[in-house]
Amino acid sequence: MQKNVITSSATGDKCIHVKHDSGLDIYICEMHGFSTVEALFGTKYGSINTMFRQKGDTEYTEVPEGIAHFLEHKLFENEDCDVFELYAKTGANGNAFTSFDKTAYIFSCSKNYQESLRILLNFVQEPYFTQETVDKEQGIIGQEIQMTNDNPEWRVFFNMLRCMYHNHPVKIDIAGTIESIAQIDADLLYKCYNTFYNLNNMVLSIAGNINADEVLAICDECLKTCEDKGLETVFPDEPDEIVQSEIYEKQPVGTSVFHIGFKCKTCSGVERLKKSVTASVAMSILCDASTDMYRRLLKDNVINSTFGGEVFCGDGYFTVIFSGDSSKPEVIRENILAETERLKSEGIDDKMFQRIKKSAYGSMVRELNNVEAVANTMMNSHMEGVSPYDAIKFTSELKSDDVLSFIRDELRGDRLVMSVIEGTVES
Amino acid sequence: MKYNRTEISDKVGFLSVIDEKFKTCQLTIRFIVKNDPEYVSENAIAVGVIATTNSVFNTIAKMNEKLSSLYGSGLSHITGKRGDLQVLSVSSSWIDNRYAIDGEDITREMVQIVRDCIFSPDIQDGGFSRENFDIEKKDLLDRIDAEMNDKRSYALKQALQTALKDEPAGIVPYGSKETALRVTPQSAYRAYKNLLKNAQIEISFVSPYENSLAEETFREAFSQTERSPQEVVFRTPSPIKPKIEKVSEEIDVRQCKTVMVFKSDSDDVFALRLVSMILGETPVSKLFVNVREKMSLCYYCACHFSPPKNVLTIDSGVEKSNIQKAEDEILRQLDEIKKGNFSDDELQNALASLDNAFSSVGDSPTSYPMWFFECLCDGEILTPAQKFARFLEVSRQRIVDAANSLKPDTFYYMLSKED
Repeated sequence: MQKNVITSSATGDKCIHVKHDSGLDIYICEMHGFSTVEALFGTKYGSINTMFRQKGDTEYTEVPEGIAHFLEHKLFENEDCDVFELYAKTGANGNAFTSFDKTAYIFSCSKNYQESLRILLNFVQEPYFTQETVDKEQGIIGQEIQMTNDNPEWRVFFNMLRCMYHNHPVKIDIAGTIESIAQIDADLLYKCYNTFYNLNNMVLSIAGNINADEVLAICDECLKTCEDKGLETVFPDEPDEIVQSEIYEKQPVGTSVFHIGFKCKTCSGVERLKKSVTASVAMSILCDASTDMYRRLLKDNVINSTFGGEVFCGDGYFTVIFSGDSSKPEVIRENILAETERLKSEGIDDKMFQRIKKSAYGSMVRELNNVEAVANTMMNSHMEGVSPYDAIKFTSELKSDDVLSFIRDELRGDRLVMSVIEGTVES
Repeated sequence: MKYNRTEISDKVGFLSVIDEKFKTCQLTIRFIVKNDPEYVSENAIAVGVIATTNSVFNTIAKMNEKLSSLYGSGLSHITGKRGDLQVLSVSSSWIDNRYAIDGEDITREMVQIVRDCIFSPDIQDGGFSRENFDIEKKDLLDRIDAEMNDKRSYALKQALQTALKDEPAGIVPYGSKETALRVTPQSAYRAYKNLLKNAQIEISFVSPYENSLAEETFREAFSQTERSPQEVVFRTPSPIKPKIEKVSEEIDVRQCKTVMVFKSDSDDVFALRLVSMILGETPVSKLFVNVREKMSLCYYCACHFSPPKNVLTIDSGVEKSNIQKAEDEILRQLDEIKKGNFSDDELQNALASLDNAFSSVGDSPTSYPMWFFECLCDGEILTPAQKFARFLEVSRQRIVDAANSLKPDTFYYMLSKED
């Protein structure tokens, strides 16, 4: 078992990384003075992983859309009981989520964390699927899909992704469709489970009121050693160009909602984190509430306080997205394009750059104040192939020229997509 | 953790919390007044203006430039409701001075900014500055229009408006389009001056170490402010209708929503909360296990109890053809509790979940002020452990009695349009 202490040079915060003999990577952050514990047991398996093979397989296996999410739901049922019943005895709050590139099983608690950790480690390693329980789940997930179909924020986001990506599975809904989940059966679930829920493809992240030695002793007790089967996931080739530049859909909403996104080139690991930090600062320089563009759009009643931006990236996709409620999204698009062109020719004001950098640093320090955020950062960083405190380090090292290069190279008018959900309700 | 609450002016409480584990400070000012349809929109817009600008940083751009230079310090506002009361909060948070790379005294600057927001807004022609006012008014109007965007919260709002109509709690805390449209920069400023004079005010300051600056600053500022606070009543149970009121509306949605509102005339809020927990607040509750897991009727079927109005709501998203089936099962599960058909395990699970939630208080800078505010509303300052002890005292019979006190009042249905 290899054990390393990772320290943030900026704040002095520390966590421990352990490569466990079972194959699992473990991150532990003891947070003195806190009473809660947050634990995530995650696998690098999300909605985009629809095509894969392992050592010895000659062909790639292709699975229905939404199966990672379906599997997450089904893992909560053991052969003899429901996992929630086990958590109920310890008082822990159990949950799980599936995103584009990961699935994580979570508990948070303020007492008996040791027992809750045993529950978490054991149930994720003990799948139990039958056709009967699979059929039952289709009704529940069917309702989840319908609920998200009525959610304009969800629809506007996926419509944007569909206009941006020709082939990459990031454009498919995380939960799949009513039709795709109908193709899922117990055998397929076992196939996916045995492929992706190998401890060599997983991470345990735990933070808060814990003792590292206790955590490791429980891991020794519960983890079953896995052979690394050389998992390989592939994505179809994706051109740099977008599919179409705009899409409009009507829904019963009171205000129109929009997403305006730039499709950027992809990268991975440390390069992706650096690019993501750079893109975040670039976005703030473009649309922060202190900018001239923001002030102008606010004064002209084009945007309101919902206006903002985010960087959305993962394996094979990287986008910078501006979003909010507005009845004039075309005006916002024009302004964003004009502002990027101005920055490309005039450069970035250094005072502003330093201020935005400070603001980014402040928000990262804040996250270290929060047990849940610390546990999430450790898991996400590992899955990205970086260290938990790298984002603070890269932010402090960031140069104005890096940001300008990003704006010049990546924020291109011909890679811009606008998605709008327009209201059918009279306001 | 150390805390101390003092009254720094007439009905102005100042809660100071020191907890060395935090890397941030948090300063919150809450104005508490009756949820009055005449003033809800004025108050909401006024608090929006004062939380985004002041006389020194008199535009949103200037204020945000300053906040980002102070390491992305936050300044935000929320207009909410608690029972018949409107609660308007201005909240600010910033990283502690220890983490300032250039050695700035962030705390001193932020306390001054918040003080200026509260006591020195940007005033022109006897009202808020037109530019800042217009921005906040548009924001509120957009928010009102956007109510329909989130179908679940829209359904809950419609159900509660029907269940609590003719009561202050039935009014949306930021008002309607009609009330928002008639607000002027002058009327909003007048309303704000009334808040400073008449509202019950609760200030809280959470810091990693002892620092009297915020308390001294606000004590001094309130010493120069005329106060004539109005009494507020935190708990006013809603009268039960003699007959269930059923309302429905057709919307072009894929999933229907149902909201069932029950009311109680019992004062046993601890037992009522346990009914809610056992019935539908956790993944081992009767509704989750039966309506979702066994019958596969929905993705969510959840229960919530609101002590200020003695109202229990159950909401769910279902297929149109399953609405009756889901409703029958929800009523059947409630009947089971009324008959005492719940196991010791179900009760223990509910208690363990509450214990977990109460023991978490103190792990975020916002949780302390929230806890003390809840205590203030309940009329008694208790530690989380003391409050949990009250739940432990609840007998099975009290739970059965509380369940039997619940009467169906309003059922709301959002129906998908026929093809």
